[in-house]
Amino acid sequence: MGNVRRTRVWAAFMYAAILVLLAPPVQAQFVGDFIPDVGLDLSGNWSPILHEDFLERIPGPELVNYSGLPITDGSRLWAESWDSSRLTMPEHQCQVHVSPYIYRGPLQMRIWDEKDPQSQKIVAIKNYISTYEQTRTIWMDGRPHPPAYAPHTWMGFSTGKWDGIVLTVYTTHIKQGWIRRDGLPESDQATLVEHFIRHGNHLTPVSIVTDPVYLTEPLIKSQDFLLNTNAGGNWLYPCEEVEEVEGRPRGAVPNYLPGQNPFLYEYANMRHLPLAAALGGAETMYPEYMKVIKDPPTAPKDPLALAEVSPHAVKNEAPNPIPNDGEVHVIPVQGNVYMLVGAGGNITVQVGNMGVLIVDAGTADMAGKVIDAIHKLAPGKPLQYIIDTHVHPDHVGGNLKLRASGVTITGANVTGDIADASKGAAIIAHQHVLDRMSAPSGKQSPFPADAWPTDTFLGDSKVLYFNDEPIQITHEKAAHTDGDSIVFFRHSDVISTGDIFVTTGYPFIDLERGGSIQGELDALNHLLDVAISKHDEEGGTFIIPGHGRVCDRWELIEYRDMVTIIRDRIQAMLKKGMTLEQVKAARPTMDYDARYGHDSGFGTTDQFVEAVYKTLNGKHEGRAN
Amino acid sequence: MKQKLLLLLIAAGTALSVQMYAHHSFAATYFEDKTVTIQGKLVQFLYRNPHSFVHVEAPDDKGMMQTWAVEWGAGGQLSREGVTRESLKPGDVVTITGNPGRNPDDHRIRMQSITRPSDGWSWKGVVQ
Repeated sequence: MGNVRRTRVWAAFMYAAILVLLAPPVQAQFVGDFIPDVGLDLSGNWSPILHEDFLERIPGPELVNYSGLPITDGSRLWAESWDSSRLTMPEHQCQVHVSPYIYRGPLQMRIWDEKDPQSQKIVAIKNYISTYEQTRTIWMDGRPHPPAYAPHTWMGFSTGKWDGIVLTVYTTHIKQGWIRRDGLPESDQATLVEHFIRHGNHLTPVSIVTDPVYLTEPLIKSQDFLLNTNAGGNWLYPCEEVEEVEGRPRGAVPNYLPGQNPFLYEYANMRHLPLAAALGGAETMYPEYMKVIKDPPTAPKDPLALAEVSPHAVKNEAPNPIPNDGEVHVIPVQGNVYMLVGAGGNITVQVGNMGVLIVDAGTADMAGKVIDAIHKLAPGKPLQYIIDTHVHPDHVGGNLKLRASGVTITGANVTGDIADASKGAAIIAHQHVLDRMSAPSGKQSPFPADAWPTDTFLGDSKVLYFNDEPIQITHEKAAHTDGDSIVFFRHSDVISTGDIFVTTGYPFIDLERGGSIQGELDALNHLLDVAISKHDEEGGTFIIPGHGRVCDRWELIEYRDMVTIIRDRIQAMLKKGMTLEQVKAARPTMDYDARYGHDSGFGTTDQFVEAVYKTLNGKHEGRAN
Repeated sequence: MKQKLLLLLIAAGTALSVQMYAHHSFAATYFEDKTVTIQGKLVQFLYRNPHSFVHVEAPDDKGMMQTWAVEWGAGGQLSREGVTRESLKPGDVVTITGNPGRNPDDHRIRMQSITRPSDGWSWKGVVQ
C-alpha cells in the first residue's frame, strides 16, 4: 500500500512538473499580449552552461582535430601550419575571441537595453562580456552597416530586430579570429547571424557563421546561458602583453613548414579515427560519413603534402572594399585624419587651422574629385603639403593638379614670396621617388616637372609639425619599392603606410623599382613597433593602408605573419633546390589565396611568389633607374 | 543519482567559468600526458592575464642552462588561491613540475606544482 501511495504521489508530482514545463514562459506571454514589436527583455547577468562541448570549450581542442567543421582546404592548411607557440608572441597574447566564438568560452555576460531618454525606444541592446572586457553593441534603431572600408573590430558591427520572441542579429566588420582555437581561422570576411532565444531564466544564442574564405558552408552552433542573480564575480579582464619566450629573433613567426607538422596524426590516433576524419570538411559533418570511417581512404588527405596540392587556383572570396564607382568617398579615421577612397590608392588627409596635408594624391584622372572632397572637409583651408609614399601612378598621379590647387606658405625652407611657392603645395618624398619621377636634362621624364617632389630627404626620416601635430615621415628601405615612406601622425595616432601594407592582396614587391621581401618584412615589423593598441589588439593606432579598409594593429599583425610564413616556405623550397616554376606549382600561398590571391591585374599571386623567390635567391637586379 | 551528478557537473562548470580562462587550448600547447621537473633560480614573476608566468633559469636535460617560461593561472585565479604578486621574488630557488610545451625551443612548462625549499612555500593545482 505504501508503495502505491508513493507511486501516486510521484505521478502527481511528475504531472505537475510536466505542466510547469509545458507552460509558456511568462515573458513569452507578456510579449505576445502586450509588446509584440519590442520583444523580450534580455536584460540581466548571464552565466554560460558549459557542459555542451565542454572539452573543446574549457580545456581546449586538440591539435589537428578539425572534425565536424565545414572547412576549406585553405583553412586546413592554415591550421596545420599553425604552431601554438605563435600565441607566445607578445602581439598575439591578448588576441580576443571574435563575436562568433566568444560566447563559447568561460565568461560572464551582462545584457541591458540602451533607450532614448525622450521616446524610451530601444536604441541598442548592449552586451558586456567579461572575458577580454568586450562591450558589444547591437543597434536596434535601423541604422545601416558601415561601408566596407570601415575598420573591423573583435565584436563587429551588429544590428538587430525582434522577430516575435526571437532577437535576430546580423554582424559584419569582424576581425580575423578563430573557428576553433587549435589554429582553424575565421577570416575577416565572415558574417554572423544570431538568434537569441529566451526561455525564462535560460537564454540560447544560436549562431550561424558564413565565411566565404575558410568555410564551405555555414557553421551553426548554439550555447546556453543561465540567468545569474548573483552579480558578483570577476567582471574585469585586463590583458597585458609581455615577453613570454626569451630570445626569439625579431620578426620570427612560429609555424610548421609544409609536411612538417609533427602532431598531424596525434588526435586521429588517440581517438582511433582515420586521419581524413580528423582533418574535417563538410563531408565529415553528416551521418553518411560513417561509411567513410568504416572504409577510410588509404591515403590521408593532407594538404601540406605537396603531391596533394590542388592544381586549381583558389578563387578570391574577398571583394575589394573600395567601391571604385567613380566617386571619392570620405571616412573619418581618428583625430584630425581622414581617409579618401576611390581615387586609386588611398589618400590620407589631415586638416586643421593651418590648412591641409595629404599623404598620396591618387590617380591623375580623379584629382578633380579629390580636390572637391578636400574642400568639403576643410572649407577655405589651403592644401599645403603632399607627401608621396612611393612612385606608383595610383599614388602620385594626382600630384600635378593637387599641387596646383594648394599653396606653400611656410615650410620646406621657403616662404610665400619666392617664385616656387606660387606653383602650389610642397611635395615631400624620399629622394628615390624624385629619382624615378624625373629624368636628366634632355631626356623625357615619366612625370611632368611640376608633379615632382619639391622637398626630398635622403636619410631615414623627416619630421614636420603641422596643425598642432608632430608628423614623422620614415623611409622604409627596399620594401614595396626603394622609395617607400610611412607617415605617422603622432597626435591623431594614425599611420599612413602606402603600399607596404594593403588589405586587398599580397604585397606587391616591385623588383624593378628596388623592392624586396626582406625590406617588406622589415617595414611591416617597424610598423608594428610604432603602432600601439588601445585594448587587446584593438583601436589605439589606426592604420591607413595603401589600398583597402582602415585597420588597426591587429590587421598588421596577421598580414606580417602571413608574409613571414610564406617567406619561410619559399625559403625552404629554395633550400631544396626547387625552381621558380616548381615553387609556383607547389602553391605556397594556398591557405591565403581565397583572401588575398589575384591572378590578374596589379599585384598577382604569381608576382608575389616570384618576387619573394627572386629576392631570396639573390637573382633580382635590385634598384634600377 | 545521474540527475544529481549532471546538476553537479553543470554547477561546477558554471562556477569554473567564473574563475577559469580559455585564452588558448592547453591540449594544443602542451603535452598533457607528460611531466617535467626543473629546479632553478626565479628570474621574473609576471602576475597577469591571460596567464601568469614565472621565468626560471634552470638546466635542461642536457645540462644546458635555459630560461624556462612556466605558465600559471590568471591573476584572478591565483589571487583566489592565495598567490599574490609578492609570493615569489627574483632570486628564489624553486622546484617546478608541469607539462612540457610542444615546441621544445620555447622551453615552456604548464605549471602543476611549485615549491620553494627555503621556507617550504608551495602551490599545487590545475591551470586552465
